Amino acid sequence: MKGEFSMQSVRTLFKLDLLSRFGSTHKRGVKYRILQYSNYLFFVAIYALLIYGIYMLTKMFVTEGGLTTEFLTIAATITLVLATAISTGTVIKNLYQNGDNEMLLRFPVSGKEILVAKTIYCYLHNLIVCFLLMLPFYISFGAVAGARVGDYFAYFGVTLLSTFLPFFIANIIAVPVMKLMNVVKNQFLLVLIITIAVICGIFAFYLTSLGTFLNYLRRESESLFSSGTIQYFKEFAQNAYPFNFYAELVHGGIYNGLSSGQLALRFLYIFLISAVLGVIAYFVCTKEYYKTILYGIETEKASFKKNIKDKQRSVAWALLRREFYLILRSFNYSFQYFAMACAAPVMVFFCNRLAASMGTESLGANIMPGLTLMVIIIFVTIVVSFASTSISREGNCFYHTKIIPVTYTTQTLVKFALYAGVATVSVILSCLVSGIYYTTDAGGHLLSAMDVGAIFCISEILVVSLTSLYMLIDIKSPTFNVGGDGELVSANKNVALAMVVGIAVAILYGVFAMVFSFIPLSIGSWQITAVGGDIGNIYLILSLISLILLGASLSALFVKLNSKYHKIIP
Amino acid sequence: MLKISHLVKTYPKSDRIAVDDISFELRPGEIFGFLGQNGAGKSTTIKCLTGILPFDSGTIEICGYDIQKEPIKAKMHMGYVPDNHSVYEKLTGREYVNYVADLYKVPTDIRTERMDRFAKLFRLEYAIDKQIKSYSHGMKQKICIIAALIHEPKLWVLDEPMMGLDPQSTAEIIAHMREHCAKGNTVFFSSHNLDLVKKLCHRVAIVNEGKLIDLFDLAGNEENKANLEERFFRITGTYEDRLFEDYIAQESADMRPDIPVKENAEEADNKDTDDEAAAEEKIDSAAVVEGSAEAAEAAEGDEQ
Repeated sequence: MKGEFSMQSVRTLFKLDLLSRFGSTHKRGVKYRILQYSNYLFFVAIYALLIYGIYMLTKMFVTEGGLTTEFLTIAATITLVLATAISTGTVIKNLYQNGDNEMLLRFPVSGKEILVAKTIYCYLHNLIVCFLLMLPFYISFGAVAGARVGDYFAYFGVTLLSTFLPFFIANIIAVPVMKLMNVVKNQFLLVLIITIAVICGIFAFYLTSLGTFLNYLRRESESLFSSGTIQYFKEFAQNAYPFNFYAELVHGGIYNGLSSGQLALRFLYIFLISAVLGVIAYFVCTKEYYKTILYGIETEKASFKKNIKDKQRSVAWALLRREFYLILRSFNYSFQYFAMACAAPVMVFFCNRLAASMGTESLGANIMPGLTLMVIIIFVTIVVSFASTSISREGNCFYHTKIIPVTYTTQTLVKFALYAGVATVSVILSCLVSGIYYTTDAGGHLLSAMDVGAIFCISEILVVSLTSLYMLIDIKSPTFNVGGDGELVSANKNVALAMVVGIAVAILYGVFAMVFSFIPLSIGSWQITAVGGDIGNIYLILSLISLILLGASLSALFVKLNSKYHKIIP
Repeated sequence: MLKISHLVKTYPKSDRIAVDDISFELRPGEIFGFLGQNGAGKSTTIKCLTGILPFDSGTIEICGYDIQKEPIKAKMHMGYVPDNHSVYEKLTGREYVNYVADLYKVPTDIRTERMDRFAKLFRLEYAIDKQIKSYSHGMKQKICIIAALIHEPKLWVLDEPMMGLDPQSTAEIIAHMREHCAKGNTVFFSSHNLDLVKKLCHRVAIVNEGKLIDLFDLAGNEENKANLEERFFRITGTYEDRLFEDYIAQESADMRPDIPVKENAEEADNKDTDDEAAAEEKIDSAAVVEGSAEAAEAAEGDEQ
């Protein structure tokens, strides 16, 4: 890397970076500010919930299992691995993939100065992430174990020390990870399959862990840890290098009986590991950075070549094919749509299993059909919400839909068929998965064949209704906010609206089915459901409501569609 | 071929009339130039006639079909090249052209023959099977042109087609415009290049502030050809501001400034040594430019 190095330039570049991220002086409306504060509140609420979960987990390990350093080792392992993954993403995104590299290289600054300025930002980001991840574990541990005030300073110090390892590893692996991503960039189907597998895996792991945790909360008095489990955790903690060094540094003196010298040795180990990784990271970055960003700028537009034969297709098929390719060849879109649609049955299964295990024990088996219906509709909503960007996603090419000799109705119908079709496959698979499991002995016969059939019918009618409703929302108010690659910059307001509407419908349907499985419902002298529930009539009512919704949403979309579509101004 | 009668267009939430009672008719076989300053109403007129924008009153007929009453038939006879060259970048060039050909129901053998011919003409053979994302500005423009011509439209509409193109590409497009018209078709294009319009067009229309101010023949009328620039500057209200003289002077004279002779080499050297503060100032000012562009975009987005 050539060029002079000046801290003044680094400072200026860093300030510039911060300004571009957080320094917007553009005055926003009240609506925007309310939305912004709501987002902050939502984040705080989720984080508070996470802290509560961590606290309960700590209690489970420390009070119930008597696992102290073992718990800290597990916490250090999980948080450091997570911090490394997040930091790698940050480094790749900011150091190598950020679009401002080309702009910055035009300034009178060297590549090294850009690297240092951006590295400072990445480190600060990593620092915040590490503190947000690790401190709740340490503080919860302190609260549960009754730590002294001085211990909390130690937690702070160890957390600070922990920030270096993930950051240096991230810098070392960022270049090869990025090169690997470039290799698979145009392997759309492969990326989609991997994404689906990863989503399903993470979701299955998450819900299984949550199930175990909730089980603990439910049977707090019972012993969760068998002697075998405790032994396993102890062995893990003994061999989990270098994560156990961090844990021992926190409380090794008290719980493991380590002397001051041994603790100092642990500190030295951590320092040396971090220093070695830091030196390697320095050489990797200074050697590769300039080369990599120049390569990135040069190959930014690199794409694939595909030889196809010219062939005449029907208008509808041509439109369908184009829409399919545009989704498949965009990572964001295929993730939002195809991956979610394929993963939905797995998610439905695990969610249902968890909800069933919690709900049926406390409320009874009657809630199962309503619960299944609610879970399926929630995931259908997530999949179908993609339809709420059907026009917005056209972006700069929207003019094309106006100039082609194809009616707006045909164009809308083709998109409608694709979105509803994929969601239908997802619903069929979800119902099959639930049906196969819960109509057998293994599933406790919580659902009957009639339940599965009725749930499918209601969900399918809702798929069509919600698809048309979401498409209508976007036709009425599209947002052509696309980036350089022609993709939507971020999910627009229509997606949020679609999600709210869909989840509200899911809750209403689910709660209705669950509540009236127990409580008798009558209108005048007509006894709709008797005491103990009459699920057949509940299905009938929900089907009728769904059919009304279907008629209303289809007519709202297709009646006077030409006029509505013609009014859209790109 | 194209008949516009009393076209009026006002954008929603705007008091200004973007197109104000414009009427003209295009003949078969002619190249028609559409001139005007930025914001004069050229692109709005083109967007109305292609069906992109709805309009308040008036009629537009393409090959006898009303764009509002029989839009599909009207669009079947038209090919449009937009000014921003927006295409589906995730598709390859061949996939895109095939897609458009499907919509216009062009048989396989005919589309293959045309695609090969156009790809060769516009030197895109090596790139036609690559993803459009990798194309340069000019290549995207060319793939737009191929897609617009794949069904051999009677009316070919181009919005500022030469903008940002290299001289070879410009020459290729001009050659094809001539070829297209020689077959009895019509070309309608907007441009800022008065010299090109003068040489290429049979007729020209000049719009200003949404109104059609002048429409005259260029083919076979030497006086009109000679006066094109003057008429344009008079109509757009810039003749009196001496801009016309400047334009004419720039067209005819050598504008290259003289290189100043270095009197003191040391002085020049001193100027070259930038200190850190100057470097910072440069970065800041460059950033301000980028930032203001972003802010302007954001403000524009909000307004919309």
